Amino acid sequence: MSALDRLPSGRGDRALIAGVACLLVGGLFALTPLQASLPSALYVFVEVGITFVIYGMLVLGLDLQYGHTGLVNFGHVVFFAVGAYATAMLAAQDSFAGIALGYPWPLALLVGVIAAALLGLVVSATSIRLRDDFLAIVTLATAEIFHSIFVNFEGIFGGNVGILGVPRPIAGLVGDADTRMIATILVIGGVTLITLAAVTRLTDAPYGRVLRAIRADELVTRSVGKSTIVYKTQAFVYGAALAGLAGGLFALYNGAVAPGFFTIQVTVTIWIGMLLGGAANHRAVLAGLAIIMGLRLVSRFGLSVTPVSGDVFAAFRLVVVGLILIAVIRFRPAGIWGDPQELGVDQ
Amino acid sequence: MGLLQEAIFGVVTGSYIAIAAIGFTLIYGIVNMINFAYGEYLTLGAFVGFLAASAIPVPLPVAVVLAMIGGGVISIVLARGFFTPINHTGPVPMLLTSIGLGIAIRNAIRLFGGRSARYIETETTTFRFDGVPDVAIGSLDLLGGFFVTSEHLVVVGSAVAVFLAIHALLTRTDVGIAMRAMGDDESLARVRGIDTQLIRDSVWVLAGVLAGLAGVLMAIQTNVSSTTGFSHILQILSAAILGGAGSPYGAIIGAYVIGLALAISTAFLPSSMTGLSSAVAFAILIAVLLVKPSGIAGTEVREA
Amino acid sequence: MVGLAGCVSFGGGEGSDDDGSGDGSGGDDGSEDGSGGDDGSGDGSGGDDGSDDGSDAPETISLGQPASLSGQWDFLQPGVSQATDAAVAHINEAGGPLDAELEVIRRDTAVDPQEARTVTTQLIENDGVPAIVGLFSSEINPLWDFLQDFEVPMVTPWPGSTFLDTRGGDKGTPEDLSDDEWIWRTVVGDTVHTSGSAVYALENDLDTLGVLNGTTEGERSYVEGFLSVYEDNGGTVAERVEVEIGGSSYQSALSRLFDAEFDAFLVSLPLESAITALSDWADAGYGRQPILSDPLAQQDLVDQVGSDIHGAWAGSPGQSGPSYDTFEEVYSGQGDAEINAWTPPAWDAMQVIALAIQRAGEATPEAIERNLGPVSRDGGTAVNNFAEGKEALENGEEISYQGAATPTNFTQHGNVFGSVTISTAGENGFEATSEVPAEDIREYVAEGEY
Repeated sequence: MSALDRLPSGRGDRALIAGVACLLVGGLFALTPLQASLPSALYVFVEVGITFVIYGMLVLGLDLQYGHTGLVNFGHVVFFAVGAYATAMLAAQDSFAGIALGYPWPLALLVGVIAAALLGLVVSATSIRLRDDFLAIVTLATAEIFHSIFVNFEGIFGGNVGILGVPRPIAGLVGDADTRMIATILVIGGVTLITLAAVTRLTDAPYGRVLRAIRADELVTRSVGKSTIVYKTQAFVYGAALAGLAGGLFALYNGAVAPGFFTIQVTVTIWIGMLLGGAANHRAVLAGLAIIMGLRLVSRFGLSVTPVSGDVFAAFRLVVVGLILIAVIRFRPAGIWGDPQELGVDQ
Repeated sequence: MGLLQEAIFGVVTGSYIAIAAIGFTLIYGIVNMINFAYGEYLTLGAFVGFLAASAIPVPLPVAVVLAMIGGGVISIVLARGFFTPINHTGPVPMLLTSIGLGIAIRNAIRLFGGRSARYIETETTTFRFDGVPDVAIGSLDLLGGFFVTSEHLVVVGSAVAVFLAIHALLTRTDVGIAMRAMGDDESLARVRGIDTQLIRDSVWVLAGVLAGLAGVLMAIQTNVSSTTGFSHILQILSAAILGGAGSPYGAIIGAYVIGLALAISTAFLPSSMTGLSSAVAFAILIAVLLVKPSGIAGTEVREA
Repeated sequence: MVGLAGCVSFGGGEGSDDDGSGDGSGGDDGSEDGSGGDDGSGDGSGGDDGSDDGSDAPETISLGQPASLSGQWDFLQPGVSQATDAAVAHINEAGGPLDAELEVIRRDTAVDPQEARTVTTQLIENDGVPAIVGLFSSEINPLWDFLQDFEVPMVTPWPGSTFLDTRGGDKGTPEDLSDDEWIWRTVVGDTVHTSGSAVYALENDLDTLGVLNGTTEGERSYVEGFLSVYEDNGGTVAERVEVEIGGSSYQSALSRLFDAEFDAFLVSLPLESAITALSDWADAGYGRQPILSDPLAQQDLVDQVGSDIHGAWAGSPGQSGPSYDTFEEVYSGQGDAEINAWTPPAWDAMQVIALAIQRAGEATPEAIERNLGPVSRDGGTAVNNFAEGKEALENGEEISYQGAATPTNFTQHGNVFGSVTISTAGENGFEATSEVPAEDIREYVAEGEY
């Protein structure tokens, strides 16, 4: 048992309290002249930390789909991208290319979430009955189609340049760089913690047991009178909406979106994080994601002590990442903190 | 140029895909996994072919044969090392393992082979048929003059040879008949005394041989680099699923549907949308899965 | 087809090669450290941290170089790395800026904007560099606000994007930092060299055009720059076909293109896809005059496509500056990487930063930003390299750096202007055959809009 598992129950509530606290402190920094200071050596960690909390929402949504319900979504990035693009296009004031409508950002963010959820609904309505591995292919193909569309329709989506000129609410309030970064990670991190609280409540409730029952044995679940399709669709749409929220927040944080931010690498990162940590355990998937992103960051500092050239190091590191994925599936199929019985895998 | 010419281009593209898609779909049918690392088998085959043709050097046809042998050996070694031990875990862990293996192999190739593309030197002859009359319907020309190159003929010829060989294997040999039996019902096949592991191994070798051939043909047309095969994996996979996963005959049909769709969409989409042709291929795939989830000729893949 | 590349790559695809990325980690990788200077170590530590070393001359001054050590464009990096290292060696030989040792910390971004964010932060905040030498268009554009927040000068040899035509530079007021946009480029923008190619095409009576281009940013930007001048001056586009890069065949796209009537066709694709497409073109025997985008003027293209390609030409910027010969001599002593259109600009970027530090008397971001304009613009003694410039500055003279790629007179938006060299493919690869002078191009680019 890991330390994580020994935490007292009611962890959803603790996450909620922590999340609200983060939001409040973040809001305090953003709205008052209060200033924080951050040693410049830590900037890069906060920078990656912000990406981590955004991806955290993705991995929580993915885990709801795969870990809890057994839906193999290999195109999760598409919901992230759609949320980001919808938010960016609605909120942007004056983009270099593509559509910029200049609506207030809260409205844009809301539309971003809805757009991603709607896409999730369409995908699940058409594909949720497919067998696991075929659902993986359909979602992957959906992501590919949307990527092509974003790149191709320059007049609408800005092509490879993307949508620029998206308002940055926190940067707009805080001029000082240290305070801005602290406020950003607190606010987005707060949202992620609240998300964690929400999905924990959802899956601790009887509802969550139905989802896991579907994952374990769909036929039996159906035979006791549960409409598995409805449950699966809901889980899929929740995951998509969360990804849309992450995308919208990303657009408002970065001030621009471009296809380069939404490649399949994002999907692969969160999948590896989820499997490494242990699917079906919310905190474990976040920890897994932290490990993979942390390794990546640390390796940036590690190269100067290795005797090989940068190019060799880059390829070598990826070979190792691939082998880690293989090893986890083979030797620790439930992940580091996962429960093999609950996941129904052979150990 | 007329529709006939477009059809020729589509058939050539479809032939590359078909050779690989047969191997892909056989793995799917017998081993019951989507092998995302299959593109890397093509790349490895292409590298074997390139090394044979330039380093030894041997004539191109010999290099192609060596690439096929190399592909078969690589495939069985990788299967024994990575897939056979987890055969019992089901399709999703195997799919994820293949994704990890693909990343590892692709970058290992890059590590040892470097980044730059290499080229296999060939001479191409073009045959023109300009005397064909136009048969126009509105602005669409059904026939019209056309050309084929010697490369086109080699690719299509190889594909046809592969189809005939696969057909003979599946219908005339014990191993092939056992493969089909196992694809239909593995436990029944085992009850009837078929050595399922032996059949699985045979499929891995066969799929590797086909990957080697497809890889070296693609390398001749384009180049050899660490991403030669990977850049085609989604098409191969689409063709296999389109045709009905597990069915070699379906995969052939699926490959030509995709090849023709790509050629025709490039020719007839509005010019602002010609960059979308791969999206068109995937849209077809999704549409087929929704309308007829079993593919053009295959088994049911819906669960509920 | 095939295009999966762009997105779906776990790595792969010509388009996205991956490398780097497969893991999600996007490309990354790493940290390649930089071997910058001649000592090869570049460990990042030696940098002075712009903020605290004030006016006292530091012992070493580190500059940060975000680089494409992996990813889709990594084949362009060796030339740029070598030019950078050659410049470092040259500058240190001349005593270094403020008598300090100059070094470069090089870190990989794989041309992925998310990685570029991390790398730029790491270079500026952890390594403490006072200036950045690098960044591509596809990194700068979506990170524009983010990069401005650093208030650190970034002099880059890469971006051609028209986005930067009116963005960047000191707005003509070197002392006033409040209006500065911090990005400077030592390579001429697409607007300029595509204008040069378009002018050359029209001068040669190629009045109608077919276009085959990839959907990546660089390829599109090139074509759009070309067409805006071409069409405004009497040229007509008969057909334009966009294709995905990394395809196994471009015959369908070519057959569509060559159904139209035109005098010449413009090809703007990454090298490997261009080789496939032009081999298909040669096999099909379509003929007509090929015009190539500048990155295609490479030996491999001629070797692989064969004699059909002889006579094709490309208009390249960047090899026509007054001190090109000086550059080439030092460069060739440093290694054997092939020179591409971004190689001489990389040399220029290092020279102007070093000269700006020398003139400022300190290596802080603000001081460098204030001095980039004054050391490069007209007025003062013309100098061809850091050695001459340092001497002149020490004698109390004002200087105007004359670059290797262009004369390097930064416009108010931090852009440079130069003539365009037309290279034509022949038996021995691409050779310079003609030149479109800067003044001719100037007519097509409005004052103040570049």
